[in-house]
Amino acid sequence: EDAGEARALYERVRILCWVMTGPRTLETKARHVRATWARHCNVALFMSSEVDERFPAVGLPVQEGRHQLYWKTIRAFQYVHRHHLGQADWFLKADDDTFLVVANLRWLLAGRSPERPIYFGKRFKPFVKQGYMSGGAGYVLSKEALRRLVAAFASRTCTHTSAVEDLALGQCLEKVGVEAGDSRDTWGRETFHPFPPESHLTDKFSQSFWYWSYCYYPIVE
Amino acid sequence: MASSKSLMNLLTFTFGSAIGFFVCYLLFSIILEEQVKIQPHILHNDPHGQHSADTDNNQLQGQMNFNADFGQHKDENKNIAEGLYQKVKILCWVMTGPQNLEKKAKHVKATWAQRCNKILFMSSEENKDFPTVGLETKEGRDQLYWKTIKAFQYVYDHYFDDADWFMKADDDTYVILDNLRWLLSKYSPEQPIYFGRRFKPYVKQGYMSGGAGYVLSKEALKRFVAAFKMNKCSHSSSIEDLALGKCMEIINVEAGDSRDTSGRETFHPFVPEHHLIIGYLPKTFWYWNYNYYPAVEGPGCCSDLAVSFHYVDSVTMYHLEYLIYHLRPYGYLYRYNPDSAKNPEEQSKNEAEEDNQKLKQKISEN
Repeated sequence: EDAGEARALYERVRILCWVMTGPRTLETKARHVRATWARHCNVALFMSSEVDERFPAVGLPVQEGRHQLYWKTIRAFQYVHRHHLGQADWFLKADDDTFLVVANLRWLLAGRSPERPIYFGKRFKPFVKQGYMSGGAGYVLSKEALRRLVAAFASRTCTHTSAVEDLALGQCLEKVGVEAGDSRDTWGRETFHPFPPESHLTDKFSQSFWYWSYCYYPIVE
Repeated sequence: MASSKSLMNLLTFTFGSAIGFFVCYLLFSIILEEQVKIQPHILHNDPHGQHSADTDNNQLQGQMNFNADFGQHKDENKNIAEGLYQKVKILCWVMTGPQNLEKKAKHVKATWAQRCNKILFMSSEENKDFPTVGLETKEGRDQLYWKTIKAFQYVYDHYFDDADWFMKADDDTYVILDNLRWLLSKYSPEQPIYFGRRFKPYVKQGYMSGGAGYVLSKEALKRFVAAFKMNKCSHSSSIEDLALGKCMEIINVEAGDSRDTSGRETFHPFVPEHHLIIGYLPKTFWYWNYNYYPAVEGPGCCSDLAVSFHYVDSVTMYHLEYLIYHLRPYGYLYRYNPDSAKNPEEQSKNEAEEDNQKLKQKISEN
């Protein structure tokens, strides 16, 4: 098997992945992320509210719980900015029940400059004019986008507006001029998916399901 | 009297408030249902709430024509697969029944069955629309062996010359035909041999699991059909795969080793998770004692060139089809020549020679 191209991209398109997890799900979920796709990231970090030297997990100064998600996200990005900015070009957030095909993410980002303020993910349309990215499907910020995000909090341009992490982040990024990118492939098919493959491939979502009104681009079943 | 009046009042009050609570409850439950739709963020990070159980077949409305858009893979090099398709002709017959046509067989038809050189669906009744072959048997587990015998008989009578290998699968088996052709390309259809997931009990040379699918060579099929005319094998048994295995031994058809060049199994009696996850199948499970070769769980369980999985429900049919034939990690050139894996230097030398030859040919053509 010839992995030459994949290896070249690994050097050229450096991705730092940080995984949103917690003390209770380290062993049940994050461990399996670490054993599978996280290995393909240039740098992989696991963000929790408690430090765990052995795993290893970063201890952020937040509490656990759904209402703390946005705080966790902000603190995580700040941590990454302070300690790992030089190690990567792109900065990805994922949950501990997200599966990433990192090689394909590199292909998506290969033609883009990390100095441009842009971020990618599964684009949703409501509430934010340019749309925002689904938290669960994972989203990735360019280096410039990360810089602007951290600066916005330092200057209080953005504050903790809501517990709805992905929406609040999307609002902040729009405010500081970070573009919401189109992550679809050259045939217009989605690359970030908020559900497992079976759901997208075979489920017929009912007409009243929220998904229909959220997707930025037309849904294909 | 004053006390009975106040009692009446109390009763009326209680009754009235009961009705009031009941009406409010109804109203709230209706309103909250609406609200749930407006507050989707609760479901946002909990998509599993929406993901219905595999057994909910109501979700799978109709089949999907997965591979209809041929244009999407036009830059893919399929030369080897297409060459093998011509060279190793496989007839597949799928064991199904009238009650499973819509629920199961339809999804087999929409996914892997199209890659067989010839595909037949065997049922107790004929169905011209699907289409299925009517074997004129009854349905039921105890009829499985009888159905198998009649199915192979039908194939022998009508399609013997149209294929080299004859594969039996269930309507909850997923078969990767391209890998099966690769496996069989090293054998001659004139050999009396058959392949599948080999089990060890009861039959000296072992027998092949029914659900994981098994494939007979042309010679094996010929001998199998003849065995019944000459009464060498018994017609009745409630255990289809075991009975077939016993018969194969009697007629001197060899039980082949279907493992890949690294010794990993290719035919699987369960879906990938059951084999890949260490500890998934309890140690007391029958499986551990049945496997002819040492059973492996975890990453060594399954060949990269796996041929089949069993207990695959309708949703998983499409899931597997997507993962196997569509999803790819970018940047890898899959130039698969597993036999040469042991000697990479020699392989690249051979490939360089091949390329040189082709170049010479091209030059001489011009």
